[in-house]
Order: sequence, then C-alpha cells, then structure tokens
Amino acid sequence: MAIMMPASDQAVLARRAEIVAALRAIVPGEGVIDSAAEMRAYESDGLTAYRQPPMVVVLPDTTEQVSLVLKYCAGQGIKVVPRGSGTSLSGGALPLEDGVLLGLGKFKRIREIDFDNRAVVTEPGVTNLAISQAVAHAGFYYAPDPSSQIACSIGGNVAENSGGVHCLKYGMTTNNVLGCEIVLMSGEILRIGGKSAENSGYDLMGVITGSEGLLGVITEITVRILQKPETARALMVGFAQVEAAGECVARIIGAGIIPGGMEMMDKPAIHAAEAFVHAGYPLDVEALLIIELDGPKIEVDELITRVETIANACGSTTCQISTSEAERNLFWAGRKAAFPAVGRISPDYLCMDGTIPRGALPKALARIRELSEKYQLGCANVFHAGDGNLHPLILYDANKPGEIERAEAFGADILRACVEFGGVLTGEHGVGIEKRDLMPEMFSEIDLNQQQRLKCAFDAQGLLNPGKVFPTLHRCAELGRMHVHAGKLAFPDIPRF
Amino acid sequence: MDTLKVRDAKDVEEVVRAAIANEQPLEIIGHGSKRGIGHAMATNAVLDVSALNAITAYEPNELIVTLQAGAPLADVLSLIDAKNQQFAFEPMNTAPLLGTPVSGTIGGMIAAGLAGPRRIKAGGARDHLLGAHAVSGFGDSFKTGGKVVKNVTGYDLCKLLAGSWGTLSVMTEVTLKVMPKPEAERTLLLRGLDDAAANKAMTAALGSPFDVSGAAHLPTSAFRTRIEGLGDIAGQGEALTVLRLEGITASAAHRAGSLRELLAPFGTATLVEDVASAALWATIRDVLPFAADGALGAWPVWRIVCPPASGAALGTVLARETGGDVIYDWGGGLIWAALPPKPDAHGPAVRERTNAAGGHAMLIRAAEDIRRTIDVFHPQAPGLAALSERVRASFDPKTILNRGRLTRGAAA
Repeated sequence: MAIMMPASDQAVLARRAEIVAALRAIVPGEGVIDSAAEMRAYESDGLTAYRQPPMVVVLPDTTEQVSLVLKYCAGQGIKVVPRGSGTSLSGGALPLEDGVLLGLGKFKRIREIDFDNRAVVTEPGVTNLAISQAVAHAGFYYAPDPSSQIACSIGGNVAENSGGVHCLKYGMTTNNVLGCEIVLMSGEILRIGGKSAENSGYDLMGVITGSEGLLGVITEITVRILQKPETARALMVGFAQVEAAGECVARIIGAGIIPGGMEMMDKPAIHAAEAFVHAGYPLDVEALLIIELDGPKIEVDELITRVETIANACGSTTCQISTSEAERNLFWAGRKAAFPAVGRISPDYLCMDGTIPRGALPKALARIRELSEKYQLGCANVFHAGDGNLHPLILYDANKPGEIERAEAFGADILRACVEFGGVLTGEHGVGIEKRDLMPEMFSEIDLNQQQRLKCAFDAQGLLNPGKVFPTLHRCAELGRMHVHAGKLAFPDIPRF
Repeated sequence: MDTLKVRDAKDVEEVVRAAIANEQPLEIIGHGSKRGIGHAMATNAVLDVSALNAITAYEPNELIVTLQAGAPLADVLSLIDAKNQQFAFEPMNTAPLLGTPVSGTIGGMIAAGLAGPRRIKAGGARDHLLGAHAVSGFGDSFKTGGKVVKNVTGYDLCKLLAGSWGTLSVMTEVTLKVMPKPEAERTLLLRGLDDAAANKAMTAALGSPFDVSGAAHLPTSAFRTRIEGLGDIAGQGEALTVLRLEGITASAAHRAGSLRELLAPFGTATLVEDVASAALWATIRDVLPFAADGALGAWPVWRIVCPPASGAALGTVLARETGGDVIYDWGGGLIWAALPPKPDAHGPAVRERTNAAGGHAMLIRAAEDIRRTIDVFHPQAPGLAALSERVRASFDPKTILNRGRLTRGAAA
C-alpha cells in the first residue's frame, strides 16, 4: 500500500474480543461479523488496489443501533468507517485495521413517497436506481445518475456528492437532496431539513453532502424528484481533431444550449468501446461527442437542428442523429461500457477524475498525450465534456514490476495539470485516500485547517473515517488555537469614516 | 462609530486580526442594504467591503463570473445581461421591501441567500456559488471550492457561506455560475382561485413534465394597493395564480398550451408573454405588494418556507388569525406574510403554525424594538442549534464577525 493510514491503536486491537461482544449486545445475531473469511467482502471498495480487513464489521438495521454503536465507539476511542454499497472509486470506505466497519446495507426501505411535495424519504442503503424505479409509475425520477446507479446506495451518493452523465443539466446530489437524519460520532441523532426547498440556519445539509463519511452517519435522506422529460434524442458526432470537438462543446454552451448530457471519447476509448459493444462508432475519428437533448419533442427537435448546425460549423466529419429509443441507447451503450471495454484491452487501469474549465480541454488532452509518452503507458480518455470533468483511464499491468507506481505517478501528474489549468482534483469520485496526498496541490495549509476545524465541530475526537481526505491530521485543540497578533490597531493607512 | 473601508483581502485580514486582539466585534457591510435584517449587533465598528468591487473575470463561455464581494449587484446583473446571461436563482432585490436606496452587493446577495421564484427549478444562491476566498474569524484568508461546476474536492464550505449572514467569514472574492437567459417566457394566469385551489393547481403544474419555472399565487388582498408595472395583469383585483414556462420560443409556447389543458379543471388560463411576464415575476420576486412605500409598508413581514403542498393551509390560517395578507411563491413552499402591527409581530402564532407545518419562519422586516422581543431567525431544535454554534465557532471562535445578528440576546 503506497498510502500511509493512521497508526493502529494496539490497545484497541488487544481488546478486540471484548469490543466484538459489546457490539453484539447492541446489534444482535448476524449483524456483527468478525470472522476473517466473512470480513473479506468488506476489505476494499471500488478502488480495489487498496485492501485492508477491518477489526470487525457491524451491520445495524435501526437508527438507534447506529447511535448506540457510535456512542460506544466514541466512549472507547474506537475508529469507525461507514460504508454504503462499497462502490467508491476513491477508497472512501477502505477499512482500518483497528476500526469498526459500519455497513448501512440493511437500511433498504423507502419510507415515504410524497408526489405532492415531489419528495422521497428513503433509508440510505436503497440504491440510486431503486428510487427512480419506485416513482416511475407516476412519471417521476431521481435525477443524479452515477454510472454505478444499479449498485451504489443513496447514502453513499450523499457522502460523495455523486454526479453522473445528466448532472450538467440537473445538478449533482447536493442540488437534489432536501434533508436527512444524521447520527454524529457521539451517538447524537439529528434531523436536518425536510420537504421544504431550503433549511433554516446554516446549510448543514449542503456541507454534509460530499463530506465523504467524515462528519456523521446518515440514516435517512429526503430527496427531490422530478418529472421525466417527455422525450430524449442524441447526436453522435465525430471530429478529425480533438480541438474541433472541444470548440463544438464550447459553442453549444455559448449558444445557450444546456444538453441533458454531453460526453466526449478519444480515439483509444472509441476503439475499445466499439470492439466491446459494436455501437457503430466511427473508427477513423480522433474524438467522438455524444450529445443528448431532452424535453418536449418540439424543443428537442429544434435543438437537435441547432446542435447539428454548430457541429457542422466546427468541422465534424460524421454526424448521426438518433431516430428511435433503440438507436439512442445504442449511441450510449459504448460510452456507458467504456470502463469495462478498456478493461478488456488492458489487464488493469486506473480511472482518474479531474475537472478543468471547458476551454482547457485541448490543452489538457495534449498534456495527457505527453505524459503518456513520458510514462510509457497508454491512456484512453472519456469526459463529461459539458462540465469539463475528465476521466482518463491509465492502462497498466499490475503483474509487470513498476507499472502500478508509474501509473499512479502518471495519474498524479494529470491531476496536477487539472489544477494548473484552473480546475480541481476531483469532479465526482471524491478525494478518499486516492487523492488525499494531492490536496496540498490545490489547498494551502490554512485552507485545509479551516476544513478540519469544521470536522472538529462534528467529531471532536477525529474517530469517524480518519485517514481519508486530509493528508495531515491535527488535533482539534491545536486547530482551534488562536494566534493573537500584536494588540494594536495596525492599519493606520486604511481609510476610516 | 468607526468604519474601516478595506481595499483588499490583506486589509480584511489586518482588520480582523486587530479586532481579535482587541476583542472588538465587527459588523460586516457592503452597501448596508440589508442591515435591517437580523438582530442589532454588539458593536459600533464596521468593516466596509464596498471598495472591494472589482469584476475579476467574466467568462461567458465557461458560464462563470468571478467577482470581489463588494461588487454592486445591479452592475453585475447588467454586465451578464449584456451577454444574455443571468443568475438562474433569480436573486431578490430587497430594496423595495426594506425601503433602502440600493440593492446591495454580491457578497450581501450570497450572505443573505434570498432566491427568487426560479428557486423551484434552478436552486438557490448555495447552488450557484462555485468557490470563494474569505477571511475567517481567525484572521486568515482561505479559499474553498473552485471555478468549475463539477467539484467534490474537500468540504463544500461554499454551502455554509451562502445564507450565513456574514457570521462565518468575510467573503472577499467569489465565483458564481451564470446561465443563459431563456429565449422566451410565457406565463399562464388563472383568476379567482382561493388559496387551497391555487395550491392544488400549482402542485399539478409542478408535478407535470412541462418544466414550470415559476408558480405563485396572489390572493385578492395582494391587489389592495396598485402595483406599478403590472398594468392589465392586475385585472379587477381578483386572486391571481401564475405559472411560468421558459425556454426556446416554440417549446415555451407548446408547453404553455399543454399546461393550460392540464389546468382546465381550475379555470381557463390566459397568457402573458416576455416583457409583461417578466414584470409580473419581478413583482413577485421582490414582494412589491408589501413594499416599504406601499399601504402595508409599516407592517412586519415574515418569510416562511414550508413543504409546498402545505402552503395554502398555513397561509390561510395565518391570514385569518392575524388579519394579515399573504403571497405564495415556490408552488406554496414560500409564503410572504405581512401582518398587522403588534409588539410581537404575531411571532408566537407564526412560529407555532409554521412548526406544525414542518416549515421555518424568518421575520425579514420589523422595527428594531420588535426584533428585540422576537427571534428573527427560526429557532432550531437544541441539538441542531448546538451543532450550528460549533460550526460557527469553527470559523470564528471569538465571535468577531456580526456578533449577535442571528441570535436574540447574544449581543448583550
């Protein structure tokens, strides 16, 4: 493991049997798992390069049990790592050797569907897709659609502020959640928000969303649902140069058109996807855009024409427009299967997740090509082009000595380039452990200290998911220390009135 | 009164650090347009950011604008309007309601977080603030977020800054998302509905696939005074339920037709377009029927947010019990209530009814002596209040910034 996790507390490990027994008293039956064989299923999440069996796994099924487990752990100084479906791509649910892994998988019930208030109240273990399915009969859906939506849980979506193909138009998780029930590390149960459009006081729901399981454990979520658009159609547009595709994206947005989705793939990604799903992708282009317009038919037809005109003006070499749902789904099939498709052409790959300003797309691609040369590793690129979110897939073979280290160094350089071009380290996968040590590329020590002070307001002992997000851990007392400067008014030249 | 007019982030740091050393709280102002909101602050030292008024960068193709916090809201709106763009959350201009001469700064817009009618579709200020540079109550400049829409790097402190009323940090520079202005807008008008029927009509519209971007109801009482700019729309003063559709022209017109059919059980809707429609929505956004210079200018005004389908029930009972007037926006999820003058501004009744409906109520306009008696901001449950206070202290442990603004009695 290339990344350092907080040192294990030997005193806690020595008391493992006692701890397991105490947890069994809270969560009876099969809700506590302590055998090495059974715990193996929990030793990693979607970032499979890192593995660590936990000290013990606890699967509570009521909020009261979650509260009692956290209260017990807080009292005993035991670390806790929360986990939803375990699909994190950044290692957010990687267990700790001396920590309790708190799985929310048993919270699988949708508690209330309220069409009049356009809200669903759900337990966190419900999958993203299941929410949409539960309201589909009335024409509603839950908009954020991460590609893992069949498996990923809504609790995990809130923890990671998940996005998806359609977040360009409909926003990320944070723009689609209304309230939650959260249990703090102390065991205290709090309710934040509800079915109202906004909450009173500080926007705690907003800061909990995307906090990667470091602030509290969510046991209930209220999400906003929308009516499904009447129709959707897609264009599949090929370009001989990546720059032209980038220009096309900029001009569509510049024309005031916000597509439901706007995805780009580069040549290696196109070839891998076509070989895998035979979607009919053109193989002689350098970049392919899939642009989806959704809404009333009259609007979609009009916008398709406008986008086609823009694409032609940008020098597209091929342009196909879907005329049926089957064809639209075929256009998407290759893009949606891009990750497994790349998995077929390379023994292993690393999936990166930086965001850049849209205008920097050609520059970023050129840099990735240079880095690919430098590190002598292939790279296939898929992007959420509409919002500048890059997913370079770095190809390597873990069985060849040194390749994983080279792949990781390549990935880190890509993320540094994203920051250099005015972007950020992660657009939707989260920091977790994967980008933890790169945080100083984007944030100063002062910036990070302010974030960690916020963590102290929720979890003063630092027991909830430690080792994630922040490269250096500080004690809360140290962070709260005020450095009082000279006690005089030191600004004689600032204008006074 | 000592006012320090800062010129850059360094000045802000210096002033805050000195304030910490002297244990001297600071009131943070831009144009001061919203100073009448909240409780009286425990200070007479003012940190004035209005000179931090530069437009740092406007990139229409990236759909972002980066501004210093003191940039005048009106100027920024004209700037982006010239490129046919807007803040999609439709920030409210508080000047008419509060009776102030100016509409304030970008920093004030974010710190207040008062979104307009499009809140139901596009979200609030919190959904459009992408990044910020700010000085905390430690006297340190920090940044959060970035300049791109899709970003999950670190905690999203922008969410806390939006709506924090200047109690967490002094924002110095912010990056906001801008969106293209819709090509056309069409508004359907239904006349003569009572509040309950109007709420049902709005619920039906918002539950339709027609992408409604505004849903408001003005009961008969809202037309007691003549509202400038509404023209014929005001009609004979019957109650008015309005539903807005925006987008490319053909689509807005088509959806207006479909929605009119859907709403047929509520009456025959008429249509207003573009300029007339925009004037109507500005009236609702800025709550002009309760304007400070109007007939109800002396009445206290509450801003109540609740689950949208319960709006009419809550608004009706408040109007009946107090003899006040109400206006509904956000499909019933936002109630503006102007209540007859009373020393407690009907606070206990408003809070009791609002709590029962699962909402929260803020006393947005009231004389200072009333604000000494009644909590301006909705009191939170004890656990949540304690967490909020710990969050506040994590930014400003000495309570230097806007001390006492959010909590009654804290100034003492």
